[in-house]
Amino acid sequence: MPAMTSIKRNVRRGLVTFRRIVRGATRRLYTRWRRSIQVRVVTSTLVISVVVVALLGVFLQLQITAALMEAKTNTAVGQLDEGLAAVRRDLASSAETGTRPETVVNNLKARSGPSGLYEVYIRDTSNEFVDGWTTNELRQESVPRRLREELRQASAGARPGTASTYGTLSYNDRRSERGLIVGGRAGQFELYYLFPLTQEQKTLTDVQRTLVGVGVVLVVLLAAIASLVTRQVVIPVRLAAQGAQRLAAGRLEERMRVRGEDDLARLATSFNDMAANLQDKIGELEDLSQVQRQFVSDVSHELRTPLTTIRIAADMLYEHRDTFDDPSVGRSAELLQSQLERFESLLADLLEISRHDAGAATLDAESVDVRDLVLRAVGDSQTLAERKGSKVVLQLPGEPCMAEVDRRRVERILRNLLVNAVEHGEGEEIVVSVAADRDAVAVAVRDHGVGLKPGEGQMVFDRFWRADPARARTTGGTGLGLSISREDAQLHGGWLQAWGEPGVGSQFRLSLPRVAGAELRGSPLPLVPLGAGSARPLFAELEVSE
Amino acid sequence: MNLRSPLTHRNVLRGAAGRTDATHGRTHDSHAAADSRADATHGRTHDSHAAADSRADDVRAAAGRRANGPIVRLTGCAAALLLASTACATVPSGGRVVSGRSADRAEQADDPYVRLIPVRPKAGWSPEQIVSGFLYASASFDDDHRVAREYLSGNTGWQPGARPAVTVFQDRRFAPRIDKMSETQATVKVAGDQLGAILPEGQYTADPKRVEVSFELTKTQQGAWRITGLPPEVRASLLLTKADVDRAFRTMNLYFFTPDQQQLVPNGIFLPLANRRHLATHLVRALLTGPTSWLSPAVKSAFPADTKLVGDVHIDKDIATVNLSGQARAGDPERMSAQLSWTLRQLSDIKQWRLRIDGEEIAPEGHDETQPIRSWQEYNPDGQLSEEKESTETPYFIGSKGQFSGLLSGKENPLWTGLAYRLARPAASPDKLEVAGLSPEGDKVLYSDKLPSATNLQTLLTSQQPGSRFTPPTWDRNNQLWVVETARDESWLWVRKRGQRFQRVEHWGLGGREVLSLRVARDGVRAAAIVKVDGRTQIQIGRIAYDPSGAIDAGAFLPVSSELVDAKDLAWRSFGTLAVLGRKGGDSQALPYLVPVSGSAITPLGIGALGEPESIAASPGAPVYIGTRSGDRSQICQQQAPRDQYSEWSCRINGSDPNYAR
Repeated sequence: MPAMTSIKRNVRRGLVTFRRIVRGATRRLYTRWRRSIQVRVVTSTLVISVVVVALLGVFLQLQITAALMEAKTNTAVGQLDEGLAAVRRDLASSAETGTRPETVVNNLKARSGPSGLYEVYIRDTSNEFVDGWTTNELRQESVPRRLREELRQASAGARPGTASTYGTLSYNDRRSERGLIVGGRAGQFELYYLFPLTQEQKTLTDVQRTLVGVGVVLVVLLAAIASLVTRQVVIPVRLAAQGAQRLAAGRLEERMRVRGEDDLARLATSFNDMAANLQDKIGELEDLSQVQRQFVSDVSHELRTPLTTIRIAADMLYEHRDTFDDPSVGRSAELLQSQLERFESLLADLLEISRHDAGAATLDAESVDVRDLVLRAVGDSQTLAERKGSKVVLQLPGEPCMAEVDRRRVERILRNLLVNAVEHGEGEEIVVSVAADRDAVAVAVRDHGVGLKPGEGQMVFDRFWRADPARARTTGGTGLGLSISREDAQLHGGWLQAWGEPGVGSQFRLSLPRVAGAELRGSPLPLVPLGAGSARPLFAELEVSE
Repeated sequence: MNLRSPLTHRNVLRGAAGRTDATHGRTHDSHAAADSRADATHGRTHDSHAAADSRADDVRAAAGRRANGPIVRLTGCAAALLLASTACATVPSGGRVVSGRSADRAEQADDPYVRLIPVRPKAGWSPEQIVSGFLYASASFDDDHRVAREYLSGNTGWQPGARPAVTVFQDRRFAPRIDKMSETQATVKVAGDQLGAILPEGQYTADPKRVEVSFELTKTQQGAWRITGLPPEVRASLLLTKADVDRAFRTMNLYFFTPDQQQLVPNGIFLPLANRRHLATHLVRALLTGPTSWLSPAVKSAFPADTKLVGDVHIDKDIATVNLSGQARAGDPERMSAQLSWTLRQLSDIKQWRLRIDGEEIAPEGHDETQPIRSWQEYNPDGQLSEEKESTETPYFIGSKGQFSGLLSGKENPLWTGLAYRLARPAASPDKLEVAGLSPEGDKVLYSDKLPSATNLQTLLTSQQPGSRFTPPTWDRNNQLWVVETARDESWLWVRKRGQRFQRVEHWGLGGREVLSLRVARDGVRAAAIVKVDGRTQIQIGRIAYDPSGAIDAGAFLPVSSELVDAKDLAWRSFGTLAVLGRKGGDSQALPYLVPVSGSAITPLGIGALGEPESIAASPGAPVYIGTRSGDRSQICQQQAPRDQYSEWSCRINGSDPNYAR
């Protein structure tokens, strides 16, 4: 019994392995089928040509068989007619009744020909003691009863005719074979000629073999032709697809080779024209944005010099605000001071962002414990949070979360996120969590404020975007903070993503690779906080990863 | 299916153009245009009307091509394909000549044969019908007479076997009639003319007489009559008509050795041909049984007594295997092989054979184990000659000036200068040393022992009886000289050993008959004679046996053929065939015929007029010569193509009495 079970187990295991192999092969085939036009075209050509060739072959075989059999039957009936005529002649010439059968039989023996061509069976219906004579080894059972019946009925009619049928010729001590049997009546005699069909069978077998061979060659040839033709079409198409891919990837100088004058050449020409136009347009646009960026940068720089002067003047005014008689002037000086600070930070942000735009931002990476950065940022925004009545809750891992990052930039990101959270937190609790895995560290900042409407998760990173334009600006953010943060995160090769739900709050997640410049594959923290948003599918913010 | 016929030449061309059009594409159009232009200009010089027509045609065709180019192209393609395919599918109408070889000499056993299909006894048949049915059914050898046995009931002991004895009746007009009949018993009598009988060994003996036999029948419990008692003639044999025997039996030769074991002698037997597949087995069994009683005193078999065939003769493709029982170890494998080879070669489906004794393959000395069926030519019954190969033998004859002559490159070559018109019917001994002949009157046997140049003739024998004369002398292969002295209804056989005197043979089977001719066969054992029986000539064959004491027995002669009513002369063409001059049925004059010794049908030899043929000379592989006389002129005729049996006779040599030495 244990042997049985072990065998059963082995069998089952083998079956499972087999099924797995089959499934794997099927899947691979299906994948190839889906991916390659060539495979599809060749397969369908094979299937269709097999069907067509098979049908044709069967049809041909039937035709040939019919033609062969018809020719054979015609010859056989001709022979029989001759034989019947000879029998009639013998009947006429032999006067004595007694010698008739013997004469006929002797005559018949002479004309039965070399063995193998045909055999003869003759019956004298007037002799009740003899059931006829056959030539050579032929047995009398070879003549089927239905043929005899047919002849008997025909002879009862006005004009005795001949009849033919197919049957099995059986012999004494020899294998029986298929044959054609024709019969006719002459006077008292029934004459049957029996033709073995071995030669015809051999011919048909040969024809069939030839047809199968030709069919296989034809199918293979068709498949090969289909493969060749699709190859000729598919290769340029593939090249075009690769070209388009490269073009899409930004290599605008990519062009296709134009060969000949056919449709594919036209495709290549159009593609190249399109690529050239695109390149021109993109170049123009790039130039334009370059000009704009330069303009912004220049304006910022140019504004800075007068601003410094204004700043000095404003500081002075502010310091002496109490000395003004008119309290409204003092108030103005205060206003001026605060707006100047705002203006300065705006200018700094503008400069920073224009640096990013110009690609001038550089990463000053060093190995840092991200927890320290978080603590510093939380410390910085503590006062603001207290003012807004929000409590900041920290969820930090026990072990250090070391990562190669630009300390200044990451701190700025975190500060921005915290300020943002405090600003939109409605005084609710703010949760900052940090997590790390082998490749990445992540910081998530969660608030329980108004949250984000669908689609706003992407827009929050747009420059000067505001959740509620009518809302009072208490912290005086520039509207560029999140944009800069995102640029910074991308400079690290990391992600900055937002999730939010109206009334539930929002969460921003910063994910950074541990090693500067490494590619980020996933984040140790979920974008959607646990226990929130389960009612709704993850939304499109996942796409932001780029 | 030939599509070419309804199309004109022009259409065919257009079809071809369509094909090239399709394959070469646009470049072709200019070609076609150039062609048609050339056509048009060419035409104009000869016949402007035709040129205009053709141009119009071309324009129309071109317009059509422009209008529906792809369709034209496709039809062109299809037409070209059809033309190509039909060209392949037609039966060839010419070609080189293929030569082939005609089949090997067809043996008699290869002829198609006819089998009778018997009827089982039907319910309600009367006793006469039962007896008739039984007699018919016994002519069918299928399944060991299974159907015939159904007519029998009880223990009749009827066991015909594979080689039954046969009583041969003239024809089937022996109406059975009821002799006595009670409720359950009946006696049916059958009467008829018996011709002869075939013994179980296969020997046929003529024995014409009126026969009446009676069958005892009993009614069985089922109410059907069955034969319960067979007459003694039928108990151990079959009662067949001549037609049955002709249909169901074949004459085959068994081969045995001459007493000196130098040559084989054929022994013709009747063998039932129930099934061609078993023929080899039956033949070998018959060979092992030994010669027929007629020939047995004159020949020897190499097989030790009681040698049996183990199993059947197994034929695989064209190789036969003969497995003999252990007794054969005592025999000489060479001679046994020779006998078997010669016997089996009558079956053309055997090309090679193997001899086994008790399952062990035996290779005779100097031979492979698998022997070709045509080996052992050295024991040929025809001696050194053979029908299958060209012979260089030339006949001797009496030349135009009455001298003994030979034949040299088709011309008369007188050997003797004197002795003109002294010798008739000369016969040279096989070693070509001696010549014997008759005096022109035929009453003396003359002789000379100097064949190349004889100056005088010796009289060896003079007729002893008044009115008797001699048949032409004949030599056997031991250089014995035989001659028959014959008178009306009387004859005596004389034999002369070399250097001795003529002696009369005591045992002479034809003593009471007139003998017209006697020729000893080349095996020296058999002799053929033309005998006058009841005013008709009959060809008979006898054998010459020698007692240990040296006494000669030429007693038993058997008729071979009585078809030739006026046979004049005969010669041995080969061991199985006689060339006979005789008159058949309606012939106005004697003509040469080939008469098989086996008793099969005779066939004419050659065609054309011969004058009055008087003597015939034949030798295996050599032309047949006939000495004829028309008026006073004696001529010797031969066939224009001697290998062709039906070639014409031409008489160019003046002379008479041709005769071969061998």
